[in-house]
Amino acid sequence: MIRRGVCVAVVACIWIVLAALVAGLDWSTPLLPQKQIELTGSDFRVVIGAGVQDDRALRVAAVGTDGSALQARSIGSVRAEDFPVLRYRFDGFPRTLELSLVFRRAGEDDVHSETIPFPGDGWTSINLSRLPGWSGDIVELGFAQYATPDVAPASVAFRPFRFDQAELWSPSWRGGLAALSTSWFGYTPWALLSVSALGPQREVANPPPLLPFAVAGCVLSLLAAALILRWSRSRLVRRAVIVLAVLWGALDLVWLADLRGKHDLTEDIYAGHAWSVREQLAPDQDLARAAAAVRAYFAAQPVPRRILVTGEAKYVFLRLVYLLLPLNAAPLETGVAPPSLRDTYILVYRDSRWRYDATLGALLDDRGRRLDPSGSIFRDRFDAAERLEPVLESGDLHLYAFRAGQGS
Amino acid sequence: MSLSLAVSWVLPWVTGASVYMALNPRRAQGWIAAALGHGLVLGPLLAALATDVCARSDTTHAWTHAGWPLAAVMLLCGAIAWRRVRVTMPEMTPPPRVEKWKMALCAALLATLAWRAWIALREILLRPTFPWDAWDAWAVKSKTWFLLGHYAPFVPAHDWLALSPPEAYSGPAWSYPSALAWMQVWFASAAGGWVEPLVNLPWLALWVGMLLAHFGQWRALGLSASRALVAVYALGSLPLLTVHVALAGYADLWMAALFGLAVLAWLRWRRDGDSGQLVLALACAAVLPWLKLEGAVWLLLLAGVAGFAALPRRLRWRTLGIAAAIALVGAAVDRLPLPLLGLGWAKVGLTRIEVPVIGALSVRWHGSALAGVSMALFGQSNWNLLWWIAPAIVVWRWRELCAQEPLRLLGALLLACTLFLLFLFLFTDAARWAESYTAINRLLMHVVPATVSLMALLLRDVSLAPARGGTAPASSPHSHPE
Repeated sequence: MIRRGVCVAVVACIWIVLAALVAGLDWSTPLLPQKQIELTGSDFRVVIGAGVQDDRALRVAAVGTDGSALQARSIGSVRAEDFPVLRYRFDGFPRTLELSLVFRRAGEDDVHSETIPFPGDGWTSINLSRLPGWSGDIVELGFAQYATPDVAPASVAFRPFRFDQAELWSPSWRGGLAALSTSWFGYTPWALLSVSALGPQREVANPPPLLPFAVAGCVLSLLAAALILRWSRSRLVRRAVIVLAVLWGALDLVWLADLRGKHDLTEDIYAGHAWSVREQLAPDQDLARAAAAVRAYFAAQPVPRRILVTGEAKYVFLRLVYLLLPLNAAPLETGVAPPSLRDTYILVYRDSRWRYDATLGALLDDRGRRLDPSGSIFRDRFDAAERLEPVLESGDLHLYAFRAGQGS
Repeated sequence: MSLSLAVSWVLPWVTGASVYMALNPRRAQGWIAAALGHGLVLGPLLAALATDVCARSDTTHAWTHAGWPLAAVMLLCGAIAWRRVRVTMPEMTPPPRVEKWKMALCAALLATLAWRAWIALREILLRPTFPWDAWDAWAVKSKTWFLLGHYAPFVPAHDWLALSPPEAYSGPAWSYPSALAWMQVWFASAAGGWVEPLVNLPWLALWVGMLLAHFGQWRALGLSASRALVAVYALGSLPLLTVHVALAGYADLWMAALFGLAVLAWLRWRRDGDSGQLVLALACAAVLPWLKLEGAVWLLLLAGVAGFAALPRRLRWRTLGIAAAIALVGAAVDRLPLPLLGLGWAKVGLTRIEVPVIGALSVRWHGSALAGVSMALFGQSNWNLLWWIAPAIVVWRWRELCAQEPLRLLGALLLACTLFLLFLFLFTDAARWAESYTAINRLLMHVVPATVSLMALLLRDVSLAPARGGTAPASSPHSHPE
C-alpha cells in the first residue's frame, strides 16, 4: 500500500515537473499571479469599425471599410517582462474571424501585431514571452479582428460579438499552465498548410507541442511505476501497451475536437446555401470576381489564343489561371523567351512590379525594362511593332492586348 | 442524387469489386471487406482509365462513353468471379464468440471512424476545392478537359508559347500524371457540370475503401477480427489521413492506399502462392506512377525488394552485394542510371542527382532539416503516436520480425522507403520542403498504411493476458481468428 502511495506521488511529480519545464516555470514561480492588470472591454476605444459600450464590455458591431476591426487603449507604461501572460474573454466571437494582439512599445511609432489563439468559451490565455516583440515598455494594447485568412470570405466573415475583458498577469503556475492548455487544446482553423502538416499555426507564439510531452510523461511514469512496484518485464510490457493505447485514444479525442472546431467554421460559412452560392463564397472572392470579369469580357470577344497572368504573389496568379479555365491561361514567366506574343493578352492583377506606359504602349518593370510582343518578354530595345493597350480595367485588374500599330 | 450520378458511383465500385473477385475467388477470412474495399479503391481508377481511352473527344459526356466498356468489364469479371467462386467455395467456419467488452470497444472505435467520416463528407460537400495543389496541380487538367469538352495536351511553358495558335495548355503541373484528372472528368460528366464537391467525393470513398480493403487483407493474413478492427482504427484515426479526405484533392492518399494494398497483396501471394494476389499486387504497384511522379520511386523499391525475395536464397546476398557495388561505382562516376517509370532515366551521382522533368538535386548534408523531420515525425499531431510506437514495436517483436520471412521482407521494404525519405530530406535540396513542412508529411503518408500493416502483423499473435507461470506476454506461432 505504501509503495502504491509513493508511486502515485512520484508519477504526479513527474507530470508536474514536465509541465513546468514545458511551460517555462520554475520552483520560485508563485502559484497565483502576484500582479494583475485588468483591462475591461468598455475601456477600449474603437479605432477601426464600430462598437458601443455594453455595461463593462464593448460590443463590436461592424468592421471598417477594409474588413477589419480594431479596439485599443493606452495602458500607461507596462514592463513586458513583468507580465508574460495575457488572458482575454470574448462572447460570441465568430469562428470566421481571426484575432490579433496589437501593441505599441514606448518610443516607437509602429505597432506590433501578432495572431493569437481563437477565443473560445470562457478565458483564453497565451504566453506572451514567446512573442518576438513582447519586450521593453508597452504603452498601448489592443485587439484586431479580420476574416480568417485562406478560409473565410470577407463578405460573410463578420458577425457582432462582445469583448468582455483582458488581463495581464505576472508569472504564475496558474497562468503558465492555462496558456499551455490553450495552446494544446484550443481550436485552430484550417490553413493552406493543413494538408501538409498539423501544428505550425499562424500564431507566432510557437507553443511547445503536446505529443513529446505526453509520450515523455507516460514513459517516465511507467518506468517509475515498474521500479517502485517491482513489476516484472512482462507486466511492464502489458501496462505499457495499455497506457499507450489509452494515450492514442486521448490524443485522438483532442484531434477530433479540433477537427470538429475546424468543421464548424465550414458549416458557419457554407451550410444552407446552394452550390451556386457556395461557389462564390471562396476565401479569395476578389480573385473570383476578377476572373468572372475577364471571362465575361471574352464571352463577347473572339476566344483569346492565350492569356499570360501575373500577380504580386504566386497564389494570386496561379489561382487566377485556375479560375479562368477553360480560357487558355498560364503564368507569365519572365525568364521564358517566346518567338511571338501576338494574339496574347496580359492579365496583371495587383502587381506593383509592372506599370503601364501609355506613351510607349508597353508594360515596364521597376527597372524600366519592357514587356513587348516580339523577341523576348524582357527587352531594352523599344522597337515593338504592336502596342500593348488596356482593354479591361477594374480596380486591381488590368487586362492588356496587343493592338496593331507602331509602338514608339 | 440523379440517376446518372448514382450509376457513376455504383458502376466503378461494382466493377472494381468484380475484378478483385475474379482475381481472388477464394473466400478467405475478410473476403467481403477486401472485395468491397478494393472495389472502392480500384473502381474509380478503372473509370479513369476507361474515360482516358474512350472519352477524349467528348469529355462532356465522358461517363456515357466510358460507362459501356466499364460495364462490359464488370459483367465479364462478374461472370468469371461467379464461376470461380462456385468452384473454390470452401466450408466457412462460424465465427467464434467474442467477449462483450471487445465488442463494445470495437463499436466505440467504429463510431469514432464513422464520426470523422461524417465530418469529412460534410466538408467535401460544402466547400469549394480548398488546398493549393488540389486546384493548381490535380484539378487543373480535369477542369480544362471537362469545360473544354475534349482533351487538350499540357506542355512546358516554352513549348506553349512557341505554338501559334496554342492547341495545348500549360501550367506548373503540366507534367503531372493524369489518372486523377480523368477520374474527376468521369464524375464531373456524371454530375452534369464542374461541381467541385462532387468531383472531390471519391476521396471519401477512397478512405473507406482503403480501410475496408486493409481490414480484409489483414484478416486473410491471420489477424483476428477484433485486432484487425483495432488496426483499422489505428490507420483511420491518423489525423493527416483524415485531413486529406476532408480537404480532398491531393494524390497522396491514393498513393498511400495503392502502395499499402500492393504490399498486402504481395505478402498474400508470398504466403499462399495465390496468383490472383500477385496480379493484384502488380496492378496496384503499376498504377503508382500513373498517380504521382513519386510513384516511380516506390515502384522501383517495391520491385527491388520483390526481386530480391524472388531470388534463390543462396543467390540473394551475393546479388545484393554485386548490385550495391555497381551502384556505388556508378554513383562515384556520376553515371548510375535508374529507371523511373513515367519519368525516364534518372542519373545518380555522389554529388548530384538528375531526374527528368523534376530537375537536378545537389547532394549534401542539410542538418537544418533535421529539426523539421523530427518535428514532423515526433512533434506535430500529424500521425498521433505512430512514429513513436513503430520503432518500439519493431524492437519488442524483433525475433518475430526476423523469424518470419513475409515480415522480414515488409520490414526491409519499409526500411528502404524510410532511408530514401531520410536521404531525400536530409541530403538533397528537398530539405527545404522538410523545413517548411510542405512535403515531408505527404511523402511519409505514402508508406503509412504499409507501416501500420507491419505493426498489425507483428502484433497479431501477442496476448496481453498474463501467461500462466510465464514471464513474457503470451504469443503463439499461429493466429487464431475469432
